[in-house]
Amino acid sequence: MENGLMTLPIWKSDWIIAKRRKRLLALNILIPLMLVAPISISTAPPAHAAAVFTVLFVIFGTFGSSIPIIRDSESGLFKRYTLTGIHPGGLVLQRLFASATLDILELTPSIVFIFLSRGSPLVQMTSMIPALIVAIITANLIGAWAAAVARSIAEGALFSSVLALLLLHFSGTFRSPSPKTWGATIERWAPFRHLHESFLEITSGSVATLPSDFLLPVIVLCTGLCITGAWKKI
Amino acid sequence: MFQARGLSYTYPSSRIGIHNVTLEAGPGERIVVMGPNGSGKSTFLELVATAIPSQPETLSLFGESKRTATRALRKRIGVVQDQPVHIETLTGLENARLFSELYGISPGETDNTLVDLFAALGLEEVQNIPVSEYSYGMKRKLLLVEALVHKPELLIVDEPTLGLDPPSQAALLTILENYSRNGTCILIATNDMILAQHLATRIVFLCEGEMIAQGSTDDLFAKISGNTRIDIKLKEKIVADLTLDEFAITAMPGRILAESNSGMNSLPRLIEAVLNSGFNIAQIDVRETDLGDVFTYLTGLDIRDNNEWKMDS
Repeated sequence: MENGLMTLPIWKSDWIIAKRRKRLLALNILIPLMLVAPISISTAPPAHAAAVFTVLFVIFGTFGSSIPIIRDSESGLFKRYTLTGIHPGGLVLQRLFASATLDILELTPSIVFIFLSRGSPLVQMTSMIPALIVAIITANLIGAWAAAVARSIAEGALFSSVLALLLLHFSGTFRSPSPKTWGATIERWAPFRHLHESFLEITSGSVATLPSDFLLPVIVLCTGLCITGAWKKI
Repeated sequence: MFQARGLSYTYPSSRIGIHNVTLEAGPGERIVVMGPNGSGKSTFLELVATAIPSQPETLSLFGESKRTATRALRKRIGVVQDQPVHIETLTGLENARLFSELYGISPGETDNTLVDLFAALGLEEVQNIPVSEYSYGMKRKLLLVEALVHKPELLIVDEPTLGLDPPSQAALLTILENYSRNGTCILIATNDMILAQHLATRIVFLCEGEMIAQGSTDDLFAKISGNTRIDIKLKEKIVADLTLDEFAITAMPGRILAESNSGMNSLPRLIEAVLNSGFNIAQIDVRETDLGDVFTYLTGLDIRDNNEWKMDS
């Protein structure tokens, strides 16, 4: 591994930037909380509440990575980075995981609020937290992909939304596919299924355990990102 | 350090960036590329910096074909592009440290180099201030710090004096000379005549993507006839056909460029000849010849005119 990647300079700088932009940090915590709170304390049916939470968290993750990547690509900062000899894949991965970690931290108050307002047992956390981590990393990977093909921030936001909504649909967020159909087959591989199911369990008060294949979507998307060399286009 | 053999680049729109440029530079050399806007200066620099792809076998860096190990080669190059792009939220020092780490240098290893560079460029008082509060000139100087932090073997600088005040230009010149003395090969694109004449060990003239001349400043000055240049702008936009013994005259529409070794003494004779030929003089400019005059002599184009046009537009 090259030195530049070992010291993770992009990861470090992204954290410093996040800490300095206190207003943005506060907005990123408060806005999801303000959107989640009324639904969580309402008598909305569990299926509807879970769908809203899942869509909100996933879109938060996709925009969180695609927009900064496109902005830095347009400004020429990414080009400057790559001219130092850093591996473009390493660069994108550092950005992605810094962004995903920040997203998770910023969404934590919203998750805690949902738990408290729904009176969910703490044991639910054991399936919720890994499902959230996987979904946010996946959403950030989708954002990076969108950034690779987009030519402007508006395009990036559009591509991220379309791709995220499509995958949310395949994940059974909007309606459960009929058994033994191709939709049901795809659902097993769909990246946001576990997050949606975790929210369903919290909102309906049921308890379930996370399946052993919950990391599959991240592995598939990371492999896809490597194979397509998407970062080279950023 | 780098060797270009028939290096060419055509933009996706089919516009020729540069065509068939052959140039070689070794350690400690200071190559200054000059030419009007759109002549291919920045394109040539971007190709050597590996920022844009070149055709196989037309460019080698440090003796290696750049296609074989671009990332390893990039670590040996420092690049200052014309746009001062930084992370605005971070301080100048943090930006510089970020780049030193990107070049693969461990944190702390470059502290002494950074202290020297920030001091030399007059940035030490603002090094802990966010870059968002920097002026354009400060941001340009920070680009130079970031490009030099890893002591590159090849330094590529596009328009180095752009936005710099005279003391900063002098500091820049000293820094570049020091790095060059330590073996860094410097490749610069500029139309700053003073910088070029002071710094360059070799000047390269580009025009419409092609290399039209290269050599030391003495070699290039030898191509023109005098050390005094008289530029007469006529009221009539026609080519004045004049011949005078002690002048090398270049006539352009509405303009006469005359080079002489007699200094100001020969000016009355030239004016008399122009007036006697029936032309009306709008403006006269007399000064020492510079590299821009050599360029004009070789191409019939004026680097300064293009700059004026760029500023107006």
